[in-house]
Amino acid sequence: MSAAFFPVATLATSLLAAAIIFLLPEGAFRARTGLNLAAAVLKIGLVAWMVRGLSQGHSYAVEFPVLEGLAFVLRADALGIMFAGLSSLLWLFTTVYAIGYLEDSPNRRRFFGFFSLCVASTLGISLAGNLFTFLIFYELLTLSTYPLVAHRGNPKALAAATLYLRFTLTAGLVLMLGMVALHALAGDIRFGQREVLAEFGAEQRGTLIAIFWVLIAGLGVKAALVPLHGWLPRAMVAPAPVSALLHAVAVVKAGAFGIVRLVYDVYGAELSQALGLLTGLAIVASVTILYASLRALAQVELKRRLAFSTVSQVSYIVLGIGLFGPLGTIAALSHLLHQGMMKITLFFCAGNYAEELGIHRIDELDGAGRRMPLTSLAFSVGALGMIGLPPLVGFLSKWYLGTGAVQAGMPWVIAVLVASSLLNAAYFLPILYRLWFCPGPDHGVGEWPAERHLGRFETSSWLLVPALATALFSVLAGLFAGLPYSPLEWATRVANLEYLP
Amino acid sequence: MSQEIFAALMVVALLWPLALVLREPLMAALNARGETRFPLGPLWATAPLPALLLALLGGEGSLALSSWLLGGVWVLDETRRVLLAFTALLWLLAGWYARGYLAGEGERATAGNGAASARLARFAIFWPLTLSGNLLLLLAEDIASFYLGFAVMTFAAYGLVIHSGTRDALTGGRAYLIMAVLGEGLILGGLLWGAGSLGALTLGELREGLVNLEHGVWIGALLWLGFGVKAGVAGLHLWLPLAHPVAPTPASAVLSGAMVKAGVVGWMATLPLGLVEADAAFAGLGRIMLAVGLAGALGAALIGVCQRHPKAVLAYSSVSQLGMLAVLVGMGLAAPGLWPALAPAVVLFAAHHGLTKGALFLGVGIGEHPPRLPAWALAVLLTLPALSLAGVLGSGLTTKWVFKAALYDGGFAGLVTWLSLAAVGTTVLMARALWRQWQGERQARLDGLMPLAAPMPVAWLLLLVSALALPLWLPVAGMRPASPPVSELFGLWWPALLGLAVALLVGWRVHRQPPRLAWRRPPPGDLWWPLTRRLGRLWGGTRPWLARLAAAKKGWVAWWAALERSATSALDGLSEREAWLSRHGALLMMAVAVGLALVLLASP
Repeated sequence: MSAAFFPVATLATSLLAAAIIFLLPEGAFRARTGLNLAAAVLKIGLVAWMVRGLSQGHSYAVEFPVLEGLAFVLRADALGIMFAGLSSLLWLFTTVYAIGYLEDSPNRRRFFGFFSLCVASTLGISLAGNLFTFLIFYELLTLSTYPLVAHRGNPKALAAATLYLRFTLTAGLVLMLGMVALHALAGDIRFGQREVLAEFGAEQRGTLIAIFWVLIAGLGVKAALVPLHGWLPRAMVAPAPVSALLHAVAVVKAGAFGIVRLVYDVYGAELSQALGLLTGLAIVASVTILYASLRALAQVELKRRLAFSTVSQVSYIVLGIGLFGPLGTIAALSHLLHQGMMKITLFFCAGNYAEELGIHRIDELDGAGRRMPLTSLAFSVGALGMIGLPPLVGFLSKWYLGTGAVQAGMPWVIAVLVASSLLNAAYFLPILYRLWFCPGPDHGVGEWPAERHLGRFETSSWLLVPALATALFSVLAGLFAGLPYSPLEWATRVANLEYLP
Repeated sequence: MSQEIFAALMVVALLWPLALVLREPLMAALNARGETRFPLGPLWATAPLPALLLALLGGEGSLALSSWLLGGVWVLDETRRVLLAFTALLWLLAGWYARGYLAGEGERATAGNGAASARLARFAIFWPLTLSGNLLLLLAEDIASFYLGFAVMTFAAYGLVIHSGTRDALTGGRAYLIMAVLGEGLILGGLLWGAGSLGALTLGELREGLVNLEHGVWIGALLWLGFGVKAGVAGLHLWLPLAHPVAPTPASAVLSGAMVKAGVVGWMATLPLGLVEADAAFAGLGRIMLAVGLAGALGAALIGVCQRHPKAVLAYSSVSQLGMLAVLVGMGLAAPGLWPALAPAVVLFAAHHGLTKGALFLGVGIGEHPPRLPAWALAVLLTLPALSLAGVLGSGLTTKWVFKAALYDGGFAGLVTWLSLAAVGTTVLMARALWRQWQGERQARLDGLMPLAAPMPVAWLLLLVSALALPLWLPVAGMRPASPPVSELFGLWWPALLGLAVALLVGWRVHRQPPRLAWRRPPPGDLWWPLTRRLGRLWGGTRPWLARLAAAKKGWVAWWAALERSATSALDGLSEREAWLSRHGALLMMAVAVGLALVLLASP
């Protein structure tokens, strides 16, 4: 089959699924579920095929000119396919979860339609081969996420969605300005053509630095860098699967992935280092990590605390980018995957508590470990991973960040990491304490806010299985990090492509 | 032993406790009928058995697992065999003891007490989990596995500390956890910094490379303090006297016997002990370790004798003994040439203290529930490990001789005197602990005796024997400590005799005339209380500032919102004016046209 087939087919799977879902009537539950799952599985298959092909040396690309000197490019490279693999795998779990979560709720057609569109845009972002294509899908992602955040339709959800739109649309505009400036300076740069900007002389230094920070400001909103993070904690009013999508699969990841592309594939790590941009990024990331951890400490709502934790954890990726050298790159890329697995687990579990027991606040979690042991186990795995304890994947990220910091000559980053670990422990361990050690309604103390019995097990299997699966992934990916195709191994492979000629 | 069997035994030794962890919830799930069973069965107690077999039969060898974490290397060498042997033995006997200690709770659970059965289930899970961490950290040679074992042990032990769920237990657990998390942070910082600078993945590379690093001594200091939280370095010891008295007795025994040793193991694994190429900075660090260790050894004895609870006294005794261990480890940095002679002494000391302190802790439980033995026999049996710890007989005597001989040969006679002074303190502490125990025991005797064949006395007696006879069976695990010549006995005994004299004198004096209460007894956990109060006040002081900050941020957002509102209303105003214009546009144009026409007409 031709090289053009796979990228287009992967993208078309989700787009087509979205179109058909919009056409299906609201009541066609089975058809919609089947379609959703089939599309998700098909997409994983296509991505896996491309992974295999890439490691055998095949290449997959399609492009056509849009204007003179501006092309629409879809291309599967190692970095893009890594992100595509993450999002399609997690999408499967999120889809299963969303089917269980939205059972019997209105407007499912709208929800799943935009849901598919959202994932299609994420795939587009991962396969985009230049900034122009990237921007198209980046904006599509913004627009397709709005209905999901606003899904519940109550004033709070509408307000949060409006805030989200304001932040992201403004950011899109800023991003476009930066892109146009870069285009005017250097023409259409394909991702990976690092030599284009490297050839500019010293007289363009100032311009390049300015354009870089404009682009970072545009990408930083989705990546939730402080002080551009305001929308993320507010958006937690959205249903749990949407939160999972926002925090782990698509939106913040798209921002972080954009920064990865910008630094490694447009500017190149050497040029960024020479311009002093990486140190700036590391500082911004460190401030974000510490500030968001402190804010998370003060939250009383579970999902809000998790949201601030996301702000902090996503900046680990940016911090890794800021550490010049292969180890920092490995840290950034592997954390892109690791954070996704851990955070999606946490949000699934938070959703389970809300659905099954009506729990939204942290102090209502007392003794939930007895009522919902498997969910609580998955939550504990995610939380301990966030703290960075082995054998979970969070430890690996922290290890590479720390060693990468020394390699980059910035040992002060280790102090940030240790402080962040302590803060993470300070806001996650009390939750675990409440889950497992405090007596709760199942010990005869008080009662659950709104208990329902959704399934044969502790809750509906549609909700339980995805949480357990992602938790299991984050344990296995940590324990057997040395195996081929583990997230760490794949990140190492990409980093070697970047640094070794 | 062939390589395959060795590897299999090593894997089984680490996985068997984990299998028992999983067994508990599985049994509970299968047994959904609701009848409660006693979860601490004989099978449960076998958790450390494969590890013990490995230590005694395994010989030396290593196992490399390339796909494990960052690349796993598990090693069993001479030092590790001894550490593994005493750790596994202590866990085995303490686990057997727990079967008797918690039997009462088991009866309440089968009688339908839900809280008791939940506590028991928790104990049954966390005990083998903590054990698996402890075993892994002993066998691990790669940094990731070591840190994994250390973290699993540290965090799982929390579940054991707060077992009873009382207010004191929660306070002790909180002190334990806060200090442990701080320690983990320091260790993580030290390991990342060191391993990052060296590109090291194993402890050996780290230890040997540390001396060549520019900031090596700072990394060493981080690791010293990080592991020092576990090893009860003076100032970081606060959790020990708070957590030990509240934990169930078998848990106190493994906590004080095996788990605090993990800190010492951490020092030995990461600090460049005995490397002659270490520079003066490391020697300075060694001297600081030594001084702080001595301060802990003596200070803990002073605070410990004021304690009432026998387990608190024993906890302070652990701090004191760990201070002595820290002195010996510090010597490895301050005088690297001495380390080859000192290293076996440190290992022997760790093993001796681990088993003896375990026997003493188990003895506290025996004192509370005495077996059917004559009072004098029980008194003798309870006193034996105390005498051993004071260095009068058994393993204590041998240990003391081994490290004393090493220090004398190195020409550090002054240090020996200081350590002997600490031994005086140990003796006084032991006398105090036994006295407090004796007073408790008289009451317990009235409540009834238990059969001698029950798990508690059996495990206690076995541990007692194996602790006293440590020098006799240690050759099985590959170590042959020298026994002291008769001519040296007085030199080894005088601290104990002096301590006994001091204890008797002070006891008699206090008995005759109790001290006036103007003098306040230091509470267990000494500095913990003023520190938490001070921190609480500090937090109270920062609160208004935080509120002010939040208000400022709110004002800033409100200012922007107001700006946006006024801009929007300006835009609205524009559209209103435009609407007016569109309504009246025609008329306006007409008026202008008429006006212009008039002007034209009027002009000449």
